[in-house]
Amino acid sequence: MKSVNTDSALHVKGQSRFIDDLPLPQGTLHAAVYGSPYACAENIHLDLLSAIKMPGIAAIITAKNIPGENQIGNIIADEVLLAGDHVDYMGQPLAIVVAETARQARAAVDRIRISGDLKKPVTDPREAARTGLLIAPPRTFNLGDVEKSWENCAYIFEGRAESGGQEHLYLEMQGAIAEPRENGKIHITSSTQGPTAVQRQAARVLGIPMHKVEVDVLRLGGGFGGKEDQATPWACMAAVAARLTGKPVKLMLRRHEDMHMTGKRHPYSSDYKIGLDKNYKIIAYEAAFYQNAGAHADLSTAVLERTLFHATNSYFIPNVKATAFSCRTNLPPNTAFRGFGGPQGMFVIESAITHAAEELGIDAFEIQKANLLKDRDTFSYGQEVKHAQAQACWDDAVSRYNLDDRISKINEFNRKNRLQKKGLALMPICFGISFTATFMNQANALVHVYTDGSVGISTAAVEMGQGVNMKIRQVAAKVFSISLDKVFIESTNTTRSANTSPTAASAAADLNGHATRIACENILERLINSAAENLTLNDVSRISIRDGVVFNEDNPSSLTWENLVSQTYLKRISLSAHAHYSTPEVYFDKEKEKGDPFAYHTYGTAIIEAYVDCLRGTYRIESVNASHDFGESINKTVDLGQAEGGIIQGLGWMMLEEIIYDENGKLQTGNLSTYKVPDIYFAPEEMNVHFLENPYPSAAIYNSKAIGEPPLMYGIGGYFAIRNALKAFKPDLKKEFIAPMTNERVLMLLLSCEEKTEKTIKTEIPAAAK
Amino acid sequence: MSKENNSKDMPRRKFLKNFSSGVIGTSVLMNNLPAKNRADLAEEAETKQTDKGKVALTLTVNGEEKSFKVYPQTTLAQLLRDELGLTGTKIVCNHGECGSCTVILNDQAVYACHLLALDAAGKQVTTIEGLLNGEALHPVQEAFVEKDGLQCGFCTPGQIMAAYALLKHNPKPTHDEIIKGMSGNLCRCAAYPKIIESVKLAAEKGGF
Repeated sequence: MKSVNTDSALHVKGQSRFIDDLPLPQGTLHAAVYGSPYACAENIHLDLLSAIKMPGIAAIITAKNIPGENQIGNIIADEVLLAGDHVDYMGQPLAIVVAETARQARAAVDRIRISGDLKKPVTDPREAARTGLLIAPPRTFNLGDVEKSWENCAYIFEGRAESGGQEHLYLEMQGAIAEPRENGKIHITSSTQGPTAVQRQAARVLGIPMHKVEVDVLRLGGGFGGKEDQATPWACMAAVAARLTGKPVKLMLRRHEDMHMTGKRHPYSSDYKIGLDKNYKIIAYEAAFYQNAGAHADLSTAVLERTLFHATNSYFIPNVKATAFSCRTNLPPNTAFRGFGGPQGMFVIESAITHAAEELGIDAFEIQKANLLKDRDTFSYGQEVKHAQAQACWDDAVSRYNLDDRISKINEFNRKNRLQKKGLALMPICFGISFTATFMNQANALVHVYTDGSVGISTAAVEMGQGVNMKIRQVAAKVFSISLDKVFIESTNTTRSANTSPTAASAAADLNGHATRIACENILERLINSAAENLTLNDVSRISIRDGVVFNEDNPSSLTWENLVSQTYLKRISLSAHAHYSTPEVYFDKEKEKGDPFAYHTYGTAIIEAYVDCLRGTYRIESVNASHDFGESINKTVDLGQAEGGIIQGLGWMMLEEIIYDENGKLQTGNLSTYKVPDIYFAPEEMNVHFLENPYPSAAIYNSKAIGEPPLMYGIGGYFAIRNALKAFKPDLKKEFIAPMTNERVLMLLLSCEEKTEKTIKTEIPAAAK
Repeated sequence: MSKENNSKDMPRRKFLKNFSSGVIGTSVLMNNLPAKNRADLAEEAETKQTDKGKVALTLTVNGEEKSFKVYPQTTLAQLLRDELGLTGTKIVCNHGECGSCTVILNDQAVYACHLLALDAAGKQVTTIEGLLNGEALHPVQEAFVEKDGLQCGFCTPGQIMAAYALLKHNPKPTHDEIIKGMSGNLCRCAAYPKIIESVKLAAEKGGF
C-alpha cells in the first residue's frame, strides 16, 4: 500500500463525508445565525416578531436563553456566544434561528430587525493601542542591551512594515450537528481542529459537565488554524439549539456568512529599527508589533507570543528588544492561521534587512547569510540553539539550485528588457516546534488490537488533509511490523481521547504519533512475552515481529501476527493500551520571558524568483526552490505536499490575498469574487523542495520533523523577489513594506516616489512608458 | 443530586413554557405551535407546497433517467445533493468561482452551483459518483490517488471532474493546456503541483 493520504480513495470517489454530507437523524432542525449589521453599538434591541411568524420556525434563541454561561472565551473570558445589549464587530452572532429547513431559517434571519446606538468602530490597531484598547498587557522579549548597542552600530535603519490578514477559506465551511441523547447528553459532530475546546465550551454554555458532551470529528475540509478556536461558537450554538428544542440541530455557515463572521490571520502594523556593523553583522534589533486582534481575545495572545518568538527569524542577533501589543478593534476576532504569528514577525525582520541592504547598496542575502543561526547561539527567549541547520540549508540551496547562475541570468534578462524585470530573493526560515503554552504539549492514544489482528487507533489528531492519520498508521505499522492496511484510524472523539490539545502548531503528528508509539510498544511487549511462552523461549530479546511473522532471532517461526494475537487473547491478556505523551523538557517562564519553549526547531532556505511586467503591474513567481530540514521524513509524499501547499499559501498571503474592511468595519472582500486565493496559474512553474535530511535526534516522531507550518514562511521571499524586480526597474523605489504586494500595489509603488527623489522619477516614467 | 437534575432540565422547561405563551424579545422565541404533532404539520405544509410553484423536470444522472418536481430556483448542485444524495458534488462558494461543484453536462464541465436544475432538463449529467465502474476507480481517479493530487479532499471531486472533461476533449493535453483546463478549480491546500502531475498521469493512462 502506498503511503499517501489515508482517505485518498474515498476522496477521489466523492465518498468521504464532511459535515454537510452526513445523513441526518430523524427530525433534525436547521439553524441559521443572525449577525450584527453594526461593528460597534450599544443598547441593542432585536425585533423578532416578524421572523417568528415565518413558516417552519421552531425557535429563535438569543443571549438570555443560553442555559449555562454565555461565554466561550478560551484563553481570556471575553467572548460571549451570543451578543446581548451591545455588539463589538459586524457579523457578531446575536440570535440563532431554528427551523425545519435551512432555507426557512435563513428567510427568518432576514426578517429580524435591529436597533441600537451606533458608535464609531476602531479598526486600526495603532489607534486602539493609543487609546489603551489592549487585549492583554504588552509583552517584551529582551536579549543583550539594545539601548547601549546602537552606538556600536555602523549603520542604523528604521521603518515600518505592515502585513495584511488572510482568510482561511477552508473549503468546507464551519458547521456542526448537535444531537440530544438520553440522560442529558449532547453529541456534537463538529468540523473542528479542537474537539476538547468544543466539548469544554459547549459544556459551559449548556451548564452541564463535560462528560455529558461528546464531540466527534471525522475529518475537515481544510482548517489552516481557522477551526482551532473558531469552530467552537457554531458547535456551541448547535448544542444550545439542540438542548432547547430537544431535537437534533444542524448549523452550517454559508460561504459569505463564514467570511463575514469569522476571524482571519492577524494583520500587523510594526515598527523596526535595525543596527549593523561594517561586516553586515546585525548588532541590534528593536521591533514593536501592533497586532490587530479584533474584538475578542480568541487566540490572539498566543499568536502574539509566537510573533515575539520568531521576531528574529533564522538570525542570531545579540541585542534584541521586541515588544508586542495585542490591540482590540471592532473586527471579527482574528485567530490562528498556519504560522500563528510567526510569519508576521518574520516579515518585519526581512523588511528591516531589505531596507538596510537597499540603503547600503548590497543584496539582502549578503546580510542574511552573515547572520544565520549556529549552534550555541541564543534565541531572544533564552533557548540555546542546538543542531542548527540554518547554514546547512542555506549552503545546500545556494549550490543545489545554482544561485550564481540564477543571478547572472536575471541580470542579463534585466539588461535586455526595459519594461519587464526579474528579481530574486532568498528566504531562510527557522520555526520552533511545540505549543508555546507548555501544558498543551501532551496527547494521548487509545490502541486496540482486535482478535483478528486488525488494529484500531484513536488519538487527538484531527485529519484535515495534512496526512496525520497516515503518519499515525505508519507509526503503529512500524512498531508492530505489520502492513499498513491492518491499521485503521478512528474518528477523533472526546470519549476516546480526552483532554486533548487542538491539532495545531504543526505538532499533531509528533504528539499523537509518540502517544501511539508508546501504546503500541506496550501492547507489543505483552505480545512478545506471549510469543516467548508459545515458542518456549526464555529470552524475549531474541523475539521480534517482522512483516507480520514472529521471528526467533533471524529465523521465522510458524507464528504469524494473527495467530499470536488470537492466542494472546485466549490467555486473557489485554490487547488494548492507552498511552499518554508529553514533550520532555519544554518550559517557558512568562515572568522572565525566558525558557526552552520548543522541543526543536526546523530550518530551511528557499530561493524565489519573480517576474514583473512593470508597465502593467502584473507579475508571476517563476520559481521556488527550497532546501528544507525534514530531519528523517517518514512520509515524503505527504511532507512534500505540505511543503508545496504551504509555500503557495504563503505566497498568496504575501501577494494576492487582500482583506479590506471599510471604516464602518464592514468586510469588503467577503466572497470569492473579491477575495483572491492562489489558483493553478498562480502556482510557480518551477518548484522544488529538497529533503535535507539530518540525523540529529529530535523530539519529532522518528525524527521526522514537523512540516505543517514552516514552509508557509518561504512565501515571504516572494514579496521581496517582486520588490527586487521592481528595484531593477526603479532603483529608488520607495521604502515601503506593505503586504500583500497586489498588482495594484505594484503599480502604486512604481508610480510613487520618495520625496527627495521626486524629480528623477518624473523623468523616468514617461521614458519607460514609450 | 435531584436539585442538580432539576436545574439541568430547566432550560427545556422554560423553553417549552415560552413556546406556548409566545414570549418575545428576551426569551427564546418559539413558534406558537398547537399541540398537534409537529412533524405531521411539517409534512402537511410540505405536501401543500409540493405542487405549488414546482416544475416537472426529467434528466439523466449517471446514466439513470430521473424525474422530479423542483422549484425553479433550485440549482443543479442542490438537486444532486439534496434530492439524489450525491454529496460528492460540493458547494463551496455557491457563486461559480471555485469549481468544487463541477459536474459534466453533456460532455461539458459546468459549475452545478451556478446552473439551474431546469437548465439540465433532458440532458446527461455525470457526477463524481458516476465515474466509478462498479467499485473500480476511473483512470483519472486512480491518477489522483497515485500522484497524491489532493490533501483535505474537499475540492477533489470537482478537480477530477474538470480533469475528466479536459481529457475527454483533449486526451493528450500539453502542460499549458492542463493548467488552462484546470484553472476553474481552486484548491485551498494548494496541491496544484501534484494536481498537474495527476492530470498528466491520467492522460498517460488514457481510456477516455
